[in-house]
Amino acid sequence: MTDCGCDKAKAELEEYLHNELAKADAADIAEHMANCVDCTGEHEVGVVLTAAVQRACKEKAPEELRNEVLLKLREIQATH
Amino acid sequence: MALTLTAPPTTDELSRGDTLTQELHSLLMTTDVTPEPEASVPADAAPAKRVISDDTRALFEDQALQYMDQLYAAAMRMTRNPSDAADLVQETFVKAYQAFGQFTQGTNLKAWLYRIQTNTFINNYRKNQRNPYQGTIDELEDWQLGNAESVTQSTSTRSAEAEAIDHLPDSAVKDALQSIPEDFRLAVYFADVEGFSYQEIADIMKTPVGTVMSRLHRGRRLLRDLLADYARDRGISSAPATGSTK
Repeated sequence: MTDCGCDKAKAELEEYLHNELAKADAADIAEHMANCVDCTGEHEVGVVLTAAVQRACKEKAPEELRNEVLLKLREIQATH
Repeated sequence: MALTLTAPPTTDELSRGDTLTQELHSLLMTTDVTPEPEASVPADAAPAKRVISDDTRALFEDQALQYMDQLYAAAMRMTRNPSDAADLVQETFVKAYQAFGQFTQGTNLKAWLYRIQTNTFINNYRKNQRNPYQGTIDELEDWQLGNAESVTQSTSTRSAEAEAIDHLPDSAVKDALQSIPEDFRLAVYFADVEGFSYQEIADIMKTPVGTVMSRLHRGRRLLRDLLADYARDRGISSAPATGSTK
């Protein structure tokens, strides 16, 4: 196996992060990162960024909204 | 329904599969998922006036309402205010309920709901908002967006950056998200929060996969830069501002 190099890894890191790469390509990236501090660091920033976005978007719908929607569905059913 | 790959499908399974494919196809091809007016259905094709039964409502409530929090979070990213977000979610559920007969059980309900909500947002809300980038955002150059793609970083700066992002308050991340262009923001939300595949995002946003990738990449780059600025301003990061040592 040959290292795919930083260029390929950097170009495909985002797809790697989002599980969009074919198995063989993903394996190439993982293999390269095992020996490359630079690309591993770049990947780490990506992972942390995704986690931060996920944390920030944990919203709960207001309770009134749930009730309003339920009411609305019943209303629609009644008019059909 | 579980189609196995090992056994050849029976004629029955084949025709069933065909119908499903057609249904899915017509669903994907539809530009607006609001239900067709009943009048467009030939009278002899419709056995009776369609009635939403208690069973259907129970099924819909059981399957669809669990996504309310997620749809609301997405609606907040879209409309950027709680009252419009609540209206958008309600409208989404109403449309989805009325079109529920067209939903193919066993396919991705969450993606279907998101498709309806994104359509509704684009048709009803987006035109009310002032957005100077409207329609041209994908064509803007990185420098016009303030993107600093070519900045090279040392390894120590990068680990400090990861550390800083990890410690930012949610409000800072939310503000940064709300401030990037809408199409980028939604692509990031769909991929990073909802975990949709690029193809699913392309279907939801009605755009080629290549555009999804570009929006994601540029959106995440902008976010990263905004968060780095924020961290530096608050002294959250221990990274040197510029001219880092190699």
